[in-house]
Amino acid sequence: MRRYFGELYCRLDVQAHRIPAVPRNLGVTALFLCAAYWASSILITHTGGENNSALVFVLAVALISLLTSGYVYGIAASIVGALCINIFFMEPYDAFSLSRTGYPVAMLSMVAVSCMVCALTARVKKQATEAVRREKSTKALYEQNARLNAEKAAIQLQSDRISIRENILRAVSHDLRTPLTSISGAVSVLLASPEVSPKNLAMLSDIKQDADSLIVMVENLLSVTRVQDGTMPLKKREEMLEEVAGDALLTTRRRFPDCQVELDLSEDILYLPMDPLLVKQVIVNLLENAIRHSGDRLGITLRLYREEEWAVVEVRDRGRGLSPEVCQAVRAGEPIPRSLSGDSTRGMGIGLSVCQSIIKAHGGFFTAENHPEGGAVFRFGLPVEEGDPHAAREDVP
Amino acid sequence: MSEKQTILIIEDERAISNFISRALSANDYRAIPAYTGKEGLTLFFSHGPDLVLLDLGLPDMDGLEILAQLRGLPREVPVIIISARDRESEKVRALDMGADDYVVKPFGVSELLARIRSTLRRADRLKLSQGIQRDAYQIKDLTIDLARHQVLLAGEEIHFTQNEFKIIELLAIHAGKVLTYDFILEHIWGPYGGSGSNQILRVNMANIRRKLKENPSEPKYIHTELGIGYRMLDD
Repeated sequence: MRRYFGELYCRLDVQAHRIPAVPRNLGVTALFLCAAYWASSILITHTGGENNSALVFVLAVALISLLTSGYVYGIAASIVGALCINIFFMEPYDAFSLSRTGYPVAMLSMVAVSCMVCALTARVKKQATEAVRREKSTKALYEQNARLNAEKAAIQLQSDRISIRENILRAVSHDLRTPLTSISGAVSVLLASPEVSPKNLAMLSDIKQDADSLIVMVENLLSVTRVQDGTMPLKKREEMLEEVAGDALLTTRRRFPDCQVELDLSEDILYLPMDPLLVKQVIVNLLENAIRHSGDRLGITLRLYREEEWAVVEVRDRGRGLSPEVCQAVRAGEPIPRSLSGDSTRGMGIGLSVCQSIIKAHGGFFTAENHPEGGAVFRFGLPVEEGDPHAAREDVP
Repeated sequence: MSEKQTILIIEDERAISNFISRALSANDYRAIPAYTGKEGLTLFFSHGPDLVLLDLGLPDMDGLEILAQLRGLPREVPVIIISARDRESEKVRALDMGADDYVVKPFGVSELLARIRSTLRRADRLKLSQGIQRDAYQIKDLTIDLARHQVLLAGEEIHFTQNEFKIIELLAIHAGKVLTYDFILEHIWGPYGGSGSNQILRVNMANIRRKLKENPSEPKYIHTELGIGYRMLDD
């Protein structure tokens, strides 16, 4: 019952709240007093009694205190009501008089009754609003709880998915690396053995080369699945860039012993957060790309330097340069078109897109262009300070 | 040496174990394969090998546990760890527990043989010196004179700061062995020296490299083990 009353009240309240509080309250008070006066005037012509008018006014006061805020309007209405009754609905009519016995008592008790009605109404009103407020906050709490539960479930699902992926990746990488290691290892034992005929030796060295490039390919595929959709965090730590680059160069030299790559270090000490294995892989890919696809095996340079807030790695060759399609694809951040990564350039497409994904995940920039003096230049920069990974640089120096 | 040196291979992947065995026998070592941790320990006690190759990912036992057992013995046998590429913390722990060196899958035969040679040579040297420290170390044209506190490169003195010299000294004493960041930090700056970051060591190393005119892609004296530590080359 009280709830129903409260709701009704609130609805009225909401409707009425479009008008500012003071004029509204004054209006309501005047309206009901006038209505009570009008009703009493009609009643007095029929009954001639004065008791009815008092009840009508008490009713008006009750309604006023119900529909206005605070006690003030109710109390004012009860005083005005009492005066009205005295002046208009009691003998002598149209004049104020306290001369008749009982009039003061009747007036005071009317004011007192009105005040009490007023106070009671106010309390009920307060309780009603309180009840509604409590219900609202309970509802809000309930909704928030439901939302939090949904979020928790989503996070749980996400972390489950990540750990499943981690496990699959670990298993796949183990199951691919182990046989490749033994193939490559067994072939190198055979290559060193004196019992193999020269004809077979050539085939064995082909097997060895293919096994080694498969190993690189597996590393690339694993890295790209790790990095590409951004669900798995990078294993970042502070690392000395020249050590990563040196290690990458050692790895490359082991695979291509007859190639010359010149390393050009700047005096700056480039110590910055990165996933060193992934960054090493980018450098290895770029070097291998230059060695295999540029047609130049002797004039490759690897340069490290600092430019503003970026630690930049540059791989330059003096070979045949890049086709406009490749430059365009790299600039747009798209994979290298399939038609350009045919048999002769096997692995170029995947190698470069792996580089791009890794650098993007680090919040860095990646560019490819032709040098004015000939040859291709690949450049990538990593932010020296740990910053917003989405603030990747778009323009090209 | 008339007798062949014996190497125990504790590795559960037969294909890998087989080609390592073949490569070792082709290079005049005696290879003993063990396919589980328990078998490895049994064979270790019955054969008394000169070196152990230990895979950390064994089916029946944790490789680190085997390493701890081997390190608890009075006779120090060098151990080379075989580990996966992405398990760096495991490698670092193994090295800190006393493993001598590590190779990462996929590794090449020549790389593995070079590590084995270097580790065996170092073990021999330790046996001969009986723990007596030398006064000077020679690596190619680099002379590190501990008594005079001096470093000479091709006869010319190079000035190092106190800490830089201490790092070179530590690496020279353990030449051939990988020293982890934590190991170096603790020896130079004390147990709390690094306070969680090894930047101070890395920057010192970068300065040493510049003073020695060392190219990190063609290290002559100090080899960087990415993410793990440093090693002074001993040949």
